[in-house]
Amino acid sequence: MARRRKRGRNHSRRNRTRRSFPWFHLLLALLLVFAGYVVWLDVQVTSQFNGKRWSLPARVYARPLELYAGRELSPGQFASELRALDYRSVNAVHQAGQYSRNRDTFHVMSRAFTFWDGEEPSRRLRVVFSGNTIGTLSDLGTGKSVSLARLDPVLVGSFYPAHNEDRVLLKLDEVPVGLTNALIAIEDRNFYHHHGVSPLAILRAMWANVRAHGVVQGGSTLTQQLVKNFFLTNERSLARKINEAIMALLLEFHYSKDEILEAYLNEVYLAQDGRRSINGFGLASYFYFDRPLSDLTVDQYALLVGLVKGPSYYNPWKHPERARERRNLVLDVMAQMKLLDPQQAARAKTQRLNIGTGHKAINPFPAFLDLVRRQLHTDYRDEDITSEGLRIFTTLDPQVQWALEDALETRLNGIEAARGSGHGKLEGAGVVTSAQGGEVLALAGGRDPRFAGFNRALDASRQVGSLIKPAVYLTALEHPDHYTLATLLDDSPLTWKARNGTVWEPKNYDRENHGEVPLYLALAHSYNVSTARLGLDLGVDNVIATLRRLGVDCKLNPYPSLLLGATEMTPLQVTRMYQTYASGGFDTPLRAITAVLSADRSPLQRYPLNVRAAIRPEYARLITTAMMYVVRIGTGQAIYNVLPADRNVAGKTGTTDDLRDSWFAGFTGDRLGVIWVGRDDNQPTGLTGASGALLVWRDLFARFDDSNWTQTATDGIEYHWIDPQSGLLADSSCPDAVQLPFITGSAPQEQAACAHGNALPEAVDWFKELFR
Amino acid sequence: MMRILPVRAGVLLLMLWLLQACAPNVYYPPRDVRLPPPVVESGSQSPVVQPAPYPSSGVIAPQPLPAAPRTQAPAVVALLDTAEQQANSGDLESAAASLERAIRIEPRNPVLWYHLATVRLAQGDAQAAEQLAAKSTSLAPGNNLQQARNWQLIARARHAQNDSRGAAEAEQRARELSAR
Repeated sequence: MARRRKRGRNHSRRNRTRRSFPWFHLLLALLLVFAGYVVWLDVQVTSQFNGKRWSLPARVYARPLELYAGRELSPGQFASELRALDYRSVNAVHQAGQYSRNRDTFHVMSRAFTFWDGEEPSRRLRVVFSGNTIGTLSDLGTGKSVSLARLDPVLVGSFYPAHNEDRVLLKLDEVPVGLTNALIAIEDRNFYHHHGVSPLAILRAMWANVRAHGVVQGGSTLTQQLVKNFFLTNERSLARKINEAIMALLLEFHYSKDEILEAYLNEVYLAQDGRRSINGFGLASYFYFDRPLSDLTVDQYALLVGLVKGPSYYNPWKHPERARERRNLVLDVMAQMKLLDPQQAARAKTQRLNIGTGHKAINPFPAFLDLVRRQLHTDYRDEDITSEGLRIFTTLDPQVQWALEDALETRLNGIEAARGSGHGKLEGAGVVTSAQGGEVLALAGGRDPRFAGFNRALDASRQVGSLIKPAVYLTALEHPDHYTLATLLDDSPLTWKARNGTVWEPKNYDRENHGEVPLYLALAHSYNVSTARLGLDLGVDNVIATLRRLGVDCKLNPYPSLLLGATEMTPLQVTRMYQTYASGGFDTPLRAITAVLSADRSPLQRYPLNVRAAIRPEYARLITTAMMYVVRIGTGQAIYNVLPADRNVAGKTGTTDDLRDSWFAGFTGDRLGVIWVGRDDNQPTGLTGASGALLVWRDLFARFDDSNWTQTATDGIEYHWIDPQSGLLADSSCPDAVQLPFITGSAPQEQAACAHGNALPEAVDWFKELFR
Repeated sequence: MMRILPVRAGVLLLMLWLLQACAPNVYYPPRDVRLPPPVVESGSQSPVVQPAPYPSSGVIAPQPLPAAPRTQAPAVVALLDTAEQQANSGDLESAAASLERAIRIEPRNPVLWYHLATVRLAQGDAQAAEQLAAKSTSLAPGNNLQQARNWQLIARARHAQNDSRGAAEAEQRARELSAR
């Protein structure tokens, strides 16, 4: 036993000495590890804070509204633009972002805004409408007339990074001092005196909470809160608390109080809007009050400060009473800290919450935004678009966009109601551009304009049917020695055999044949047989070459059926094709973006206006005239059931087999519109181009005042009176004589049978008269 | 430095041109003919053209008719002034942006397209300049002076692209138009 005991004692003693050494080493090792850990944290904190560039979503702006005397704009449209810009209606204007209206007279104080080509200052303007036009534009102060002013642009939407954080960055000096004082008073009274962690603050917070019979203050400093938001996850553990404290100390060691405060003001989480989180006071001010932080009243920023504690618990829309109590508590503390005098505080406490409507659609125009994103992708990576705070200026005209959305939705509802067919089966898409510049003014991807899904304007490839025909006729007219608008085409039955033995027998829509038809009427009535025969004579490859020149870049099958539109295009591709006609023969790439500025408002990139001569202007004139006959006397004449007769429109209907697709493409001198109506499952709709898409187009263009489109007299063109029956020269004895343009020297020489030598006025002389 | 020189030369050229072009009579209203209130059965007629009262079946036909000369919109004049200042200070990209702004207001004004072409040429984009000048010409039928200017500009653009034959042709066109 003794031996055993001894041995045991020895053993235990040996153990004890052996143990003491490892403890020391272990402690040392732990200290080293801890020091290393702190160094690692320090690297983390400094590198992240130094390089902390918040992911700023790209902001996408509509075109700014240009104001000048003579501009076509109704008072209602102006008011809707001001509302979209969150201008406040007041009795007397004394601040940027306000307007007053007295019938047709508006007083507006515009907001300053940095555009690509410089800063637009804030201006006090008097805008007087006369009818649907701006009558006079003058300076509200001096009364002097102002030749041109532009408002700040409507925010079309934003491109958010994957984590959906949104903010408007502010510099510390842009934040009202009252707000920062209130924030410090509520969240961290000792902010300017502690080193990141404040045991005193914890005690004071407890004491304050006891006195207020509730939780008034939290114990963590602003620095700790910042660290928590900045670097750490939401887990609640002691380890995290320790990390937080160390990092807070490190942050304070490296950075000034002002730098930390500025970061906090931009970082703090203040609201949730669907999937988007609202971070920082800058954006929160817009989110809750529809206005910049600098415009807030004391009760409003007191509410924001109160919300820091729990944006969802104090959500002023869901829990207005909680929010009001919280705000008033903040106001009490401010008064108690002498940041407010008691009367001010008492007055502020009686205020209603004065919050905005909230729940704004983040991206009110998702289809257009989709186009912008795709065009941006040719120059920018996705992470640039979502994180660099790019300011993207686009061509979107909200007035046109609203009109397009409304026309599409209303007309499709109307068609379905009239037919008693099920609601919602019909779909539609539309694109509107500026005729000469190719700027995309509006884009609808479906009948529900807020739906951000399938974008039919960009992605629905559908058969285009007769929309392709003008390209066939243009190919012909480019050979004036063989074809003119008056050339008689053969519309008798056609049987065409391919080399492999297949037979093609195109039929007219009315299942009849029309004998000999002058070229312009064959297009106006959209006859298939004469068009097919013409195209076969010209050669399908030559028609394809014309389509390529028009800017069509999609796949085209070199089969005769192509001549009647057996090829698929999206509405946007159709728009590109018709853009060339609308711009008088110049292929004009469709642009949705005009310029990109960086977050600090320095110019990054401009997307300039470019054109490329694709068709000689004389030929463009001929085909445009033929398309004017489409709407005057042909398949598109329903246009003039609504549009005034003096309004010039050129266009073409398109209908596909079994009435699956209804198209209309039409333009004035100012705008081009392409409308598609059909079903997503590609089932028949029962609609022709004229009974579907055309009606949408008509509803839309009836709202525009594109009345000043003049057919410019083109060099190399002469006008002659023609008898449509024979395609020969007419005189006043001929019924139905029409005046048609011809490439100089290409007009028929022969007189029509109806002509008896009674001279009609000669256009040529008249032109000479004009230009003498 | 080597790269700056041609740009400077371009700016200088542009300034010289602007001095000439932005003189008070810079604006040449395009002479348009307008497709008119179409002839309807009642036979309402324009005082300018006197089509014989030929029997009409009620067909509404597009016809060429003269338009009232366009007025010189103060907004466009203001933007031309701005563009000139921007170009003179060497900020050609902003000048181009201002001219595009003007084109948005008057998209079929050939003078604006011509100015834009000039700025593009000064920026060294001769190809774009040539196309924009052609666009201006297409919008200025019968306006020999504007067309002559466009052809002069095209000649310069072709010189810049070392196409001396094309430039000579363009100069010839300009001379012919000026002589008319």
